[in-house]
Amino acid sequence: MSAMAYALDGLRFAYPGPPSGFALDLEPLRIDSGEILSLVGPNGAGKTTLLMILAFLLRPSRGRLEFFGQECWSEEARTVRARREAVLVTHHPYLFKGSVFDNVAFGLKVRGIAQADWPDRVGRALELVELTGFESKSAAGLSAGQAQRVALARAMALRPRALLLDEPTANIEAGLALRIEAVIRETVRETGATVVLSSHNISQASRLADDILYLSDGRRVRFSHENCFSGTARTDGRESWIEPRPGSRIVFPGSVSGHITCVINPADIRISGAGHQAAGVPGKDTFSGRVTRLEMTENDTALVRVSGDLTFRVTVPVQEIEARAISLSRNVLIKFEPEAVEIIGSEPSEKPHD
Amino acid sequence: MIVRELLLAIWVSLKTSGLAALVASLLAVPAALFLAGRDFRGKRAVLLVNQTWMAAPTVVIGLLFYFLLSRSGPLGELGLLYTQTAMTVGQVFLILPLITGFSYTALRQVDRRARLTALTLGASRRQASRVVLREARFALVVAVLAGFARAISEVGIAMMLGGNIRNATRNITTSIALETAKGEFTNGVVLGGILLVVTLGINVLVQVGMRSRD
Repeated sequence: MSAMAYALDGLRFAYPGPPSGFALDLEPLRIDSGEILSLVGPNGAGKTTLLMILAFLLRPSRGRLEFFGQECWSEEARTVRARREAVLVTHHPYLFKGSVFDNVAFGLKVRGIAQADWPDRVGRALELVELTGFESKSAAGLSAGQAQRVALARAMALRPRALLLDEPTANIEAGLALRIEAVIRETVRETGATVVLSSHNISQASRLADDILYLSDGRRVRFSHENCFSGTARTDGRESWIEPRPGSRIVFPGSVSGHITCVINPADIRISGAGHQAAGVPGKDTFSGRVTRLEMTENDTALVRVSGDLTFRVTVPVQEIEARAISLSRNVLIKFEPEAVEIIGSEPSEKPHD
Repeated sequence: MIVRELLLAIWVSLKTSGLAALVASLLAVPAALFLAGRDFRGKRAVLLVNQTWMAAPTVVIGLLFYFLLSRSGPLGELGLLYTQTAMTVGQVFLILPLITGFSYTALRQVDRRARLTALTLGASRRQASRVVLREARFALVVAVLAGFARAISEVGIAMMLGGNIRNATRNITTSIALETAKGEFTNGVVLGGILLVVTLGINVLVQVGMRSRD
């Protein structure tokens, strides 16, 4: 059994000052050592806040946070030690004035690592992010993508036990982003580091992570991948829609454009037999399909997978399975309200260049 | 005015004002770091008092310390009146708000992510504060130089607390005042030129030093 990197119990955090309405409120969470966990959720879901808490930059207002079995907020020295083992790379990284070398060596310096070791560790870290030879360049003259890679190198040079990455490939072009993902995997394999990363990109989260934590409004939500759809949004000003497959339109309220990723909570989807009236008349956000999986859970609910032009996962109370004539291989109708569609990621049409 | 007297006056100016800039910086920069890094009740009032203090005329500060240090004053027993120490103390109080204000502005302009980044990379609070100071170092040096320039160019405090004593507390500005009072305007203008050259030299030295370190 692998060691536990993080153990969170009843963790709650609210920003001080006037009530903003936002509070991170998490049910117990365990993150194993050497695990890659992706945090996925819309803007304002609490991904960055959770990363800041895991990096010991924000102190939870309630609950317990253990890092490798240690409670780290009890004294300043212990917090600093924990910060030195859990390094965060922020979404918009800040590079200190000076050279790339100065930046990557900063963490080594504050840890009191012998100066003779700096060039080797800095060089290796820069090699990982394909910035070999950038040591003497001024940090101020780097592009956004290069700055992001220097920030990654700066964290990797420290060989932390936990690497916390807030949208690590946000400013990096697609080809290099894949290589960075490979570097992250390689780092985990070589060092056994635990990685927690936030991403709007579901496919990236799936590629990289052992587990995905979906967040919405500061809470964990149990969305399935099967209810996650992406596409280019179109709008008539009042409503918007994407067509993940031609002719299959997912409609949601508001005016949205650009490439979006959305999810629909399985509990918000109604299901009925194809001839049944409960799901309502066919219309927007109504789909037909065949039940391809039906499994009972511990909470008196059944998980139903419906495969049609799109595949949905729906939770249904067990006692309603018979009443709604739901069984394996049956044709069914599913329907949800446009308001149930939650956009968890959007990208403008133009991608930033490296 | 003989050369020796002139050199001594330059030395007194450099010594008292340099020391005042050093002492004021040691007080003002940490105060500015505290003010820039924290929000607390009464902060606006502190900043307002500091801004008002910046405008205090040198003679007012000179007069205040004259009362404090004169023989019948509360600090009269120290026997500091008409000494270079008294001039330095007065100048510290003159330039303290100036360096605090400029440093506060400089530190507020440092990207807030600088401190956060230092902490994420394992810096202690003290190390993170040093990072913030380092990021603002050019603006902080300008603040200190502005304080020094204000101290070396003032005449009210030097005259009231130093007494313009020949070969003891006479500095460049009090020498200018004396020469002007005697009607020796040419000497006054020459001394003014010397004051500017000395200040220019110090600015150049500091700038060159900063560039070579960067």
